[in-house]
Amino acid sequence: MAVFLIRRILSAVPLLFGISVLVFILMAVAPGDFLDVARSQEDIPAEYIERMEEEFALGEPWHTRYFIWLGNVVRGNLGESWIYRVPVTELLAQRVPATLVLSALSILFALCIAIPMGVLAAIYKDSVFDRISSLFAYAALSIPEFFLALLAVMFAAQTGLFPIGGLSSVEHEFMSFWGRMADYAHHLVLPTIVLGMGSVASYMRIMRANFLDYIRSDFVTTARAKGVPEGRVMFVHVLRNAINPLVSASGFILATLLSGSILVENVMNYPGLGQLIFEALMRQDEFVVVAAVMMGCIMLMLGNLIADLLLAWSDPRIRLEKN
Amino acid sequence: MFQHNSGTALPSQRTEIPFLLQVILVLLLALAGTGCKGEIPGVERPEYSLPLDVDISSNEPGRYGGIFVTAESQQPRTFNPLVAEDAYSSEAIGRFLNGLTFYHPLKEEVVPELARSWEISEDQKSITMHLRRGVRWSDGEPFTASDVMFTFKALFDERYPNRYQGQYTIAGEPIGYEKIDQYTVRFSTARPYSPFLYVIGFIGILPRHVLYDAYEQGELLQKWSIRTAMHQPGELVGTGPFSIRSFRPGQRILYEPNPHYWRADSKGRRLPYVDYLITRYVQDRNTETVLFVSGQIDVSAITPGDVVGVNRNSELHDYTVHHRGPATGIRFIWFNQKPGTNEQGRPYVEPHKLEWFTNKKFRQAVLYGFNREGLISSVYFGRAELLHSIISPANQRWYNPDVRKYPYDPDRARELLASQGFVYGADGNLLDQYGNAVVVDVYASEGDDITPQILSTFRENMRDLGIRVRVRYLDFGTLVARISRHFEYEAAMMGFTGGADPSGGRAIYLSSGRLHLWNPGQEEPHTEWESRVDQLVYASEETFDPDERVEYVHRMQEIFSEELPLLFLLTPHTYVGLKNKWRNVRIPSMGSVIWNIDELYLEPEH
Repeated sequence: MAVFLIRRILSAVPLLFGISVLVFILMAVAPGDFLDVARSQEDIPAEYIERMEEEFALGEPWHTRYFIWLGNVVRGNLGESWIYRVPVTELLAQRVPATLVLSALSILFALCIAIPMGVLAAIYKDSVFDRISSLFAYAALSIPEFFLALLAVMFAAQTGLFPIGGLSSVEHEFMSFWGRMADYAHHLVLPTIVLGMGSVASYMRIMRANFLDYIRSDFVTTARAKGVPEGRVMFVHVLRNAINPLVSASGFILATLLSGSILVENVMNYPGLGQLIFEALMRQDEFVVVAAVMMGCIMLMLGNLIADLLLAWSDPRIRLEKN
Repeated sequence: MFQHNSGTALPSQRTEIPFLLQVILVLLLALAGTGCKGEIPGVERPEYSLPLDVDISSNEPGRYGGIFVTAESQQPRTFNPLVAEDAYSSEAIGRFLNGLTFYHPLKEEVVPELARSWEISEDQKSITMHLRRGVRWSDGEPFTASDVMFTFKALFDERYPNRYQGQYTIAGEPIGYEKIDQYTVRFSTARPYSPFLYVIGFIGILPRHVLYDAYEQGELLQKWSIRTAMHQPGELVGTGPFSIRSFRPGQRILYEPNPHYWRADSKGRRLPYVDYLITRYVQDRNTETVLFVSGQIDVSAITPGDVVGVNRNSELHDYTVHHRGPATGIRFIWFNQKPGTNEQGRPYVEPHKLEWFTNKKFRQAVLYGFNREGLISSVYFGRAELLHSIISPANQRWYNPDVRKYPYDPDRARELLASQGFVYGADGNLLDQYGNAVVVDVYASEGDDITPQILSTFRENMRDLGIRVRVRYLDFGTLVARISRHFEYEAAMMGFTGGADPSGGRAIYLSSGRLHLWNPGQEEPHTEWESRVDQLVYASEETFDPDERVEYVHRMQEIFSEELPLLFLLTPHTYVGLKNKWRNVRIPSMGSVIWNIDELYLEPEH
């Protein structure tokens, strides 16, 4: 187990290097730079812009900046945001919790809806319920998240049932502890649904397909022949086996949720990592972009690692050491 | 094939229970969220005595209470004035820091802020400022000339590059500053510089007692970042109307009244009246409009296209959409007139094209041939007007209404072109005197939905004149790089936001300016009219006589509208929605609507 973990973590290092080089090249190839906004403002003096160019090494080729950055990283310093003049780590730390909460809730939401729906669709295969749920799944898969987010904002504005974006209301800091928790929950409902909707559909399809596979397998026939009650067969034997692929899918879903959250967070005004990355990308705040991309990769790798561990735990046939 | 029997129905319901429970739990919590919309308690106002030189508001006295909520599309990047370079940060800083002077948007002149009065010396090169006596910082420490000295020392410190260093360098020399006594400071400039009183108000005076240690240690630029506002808002000590109570990145900032603010009303009550000022950050401008229409914020800019829709809810949430007149910015198309070649020896502009672009009659013909009036009625539904000058009509003090104008007149355009040797080929295309077809590439950035509409009209109108226009859209950064560094373009479209005093436009007007777009950074004025403009700009900055200054700026505008280096387009009207419950509202033609937020109060029935 420990060997497996160490190997997985070590193999991530070259990957992160590669990604950081790629990000620096892409940022250098992309037109313009961080100071464009300052350059287009009529009342910012030219001397100031020159000083800033020098300070940020913007006149230098990308590899010079890359090695400056790398030197800092080795010393445990991810650099400073040019926009905010605050260490990048601090900036990310402000935003990561909100995004993690949203992602975790959407996965939870997706699982809670997708598993029962997938199971029912498999058991009542070809029934009206199956057809309708398939229709829903394909529709949900084909609607882009940002569009759903726009619909959700419109819904909130029209009905007034939910707040229009944000994570907490204006009165937040004058509330009691439980009031604050309820305030968060109230704000999280719509973003969770919007972000989770796409995963509901894909989870449901996976669940249904697996469930059908296992329903037809030999051990089910055996169990039935032994006279095990039908409910026990379905929900103990079949479900237990059919759920494994979902666990490994969750690792990937975490990554897609993160990329989806960039759009959703911007439309729904949710103060998470997505907003920060979007702004940093638009302004070409290099160190923040690099750190944010690396952060996304680390989360993807962690997601996969956790999924693998969970799989090993839930499926006794899998032994990590031998892989 | 498996055939299900009725036995499966029962357990399937059993699995649904946790899921249902989840839904119910979430809904319950969510409903609880709507149920306990906490009331914000009123703010406590400690009774500190008013400063000796208190400023008494001339507006009607109001009453305490109320929460004013605004929205911004971007959050402040810093609370340190030496680091700030964007309007959003400057606005937040302006809530808790004051400058020495303030540009009053209604009077359109500089009024005292932390300086209570000033005298200009005989030779007009030194200005003595008398500071308000008895003013205290929000933490209770006294404000004195040492704070002013500290601010300027920090600003000119080599370790701390900032935008003000350039702004406060006049005729190549940094302005001088000295302390005369505890409440008197004297500034000196190398040459008489009349915008001085205006520009000196830009920098918020910093509290020496809070920042001196950081200054000494070379860490001044790291102070007062968003992290300070999040964790120790109490460290952001200022003299302004508000102090920062809390800041949540990406969400909102909450201000509370500064108990030591130096303004009061005629009944001797300290301003501001509001209990809290809240600015919410919304990523999207449309969200801001939605928030306003649903009554959740008190003020919002409204685009011309949204006016009708927003007005529909005005009774429900008791607000009014006010017409503010033309926007302060200017928008234009221009031709690249930069002579010379790049590093590879390729000319920036092909020589025969450069000949057209430097010909003023050609530029005038193009503007005569552009149906801007049609654009206003079709795209803006009349909610815009033609722009005739390099200064927007919103800036009433400096705008010259009597410059040369170019109404749509295609016949006049053709005449002008013919007079310059342009002829029409067999296919109807315009040819210059050497037989080159007149083809122009226009670059623009797809900033908003209006730009493509303006440019497609331009292209159609130019086709009528026989000029082929190709429009290329670029990313904003690429566009800026092209026009300010590589100079490889033929024509482009852009805009400037515009400020109150024309000295803010130096970089555009002066031939040596960085944003003298058509031919920037000239060592010597390239043309006779550019040198006339340079002289007018310098002259307007040297005279302290306000009327004389206006006269120079008017003449400068006449030259720009005659020579037309920038083809001025149009200026949309601006609108602002504001809830009717606020009193003492004075909406200026430019700048922030709630510039006098300290004087706003709730009408009694609320």
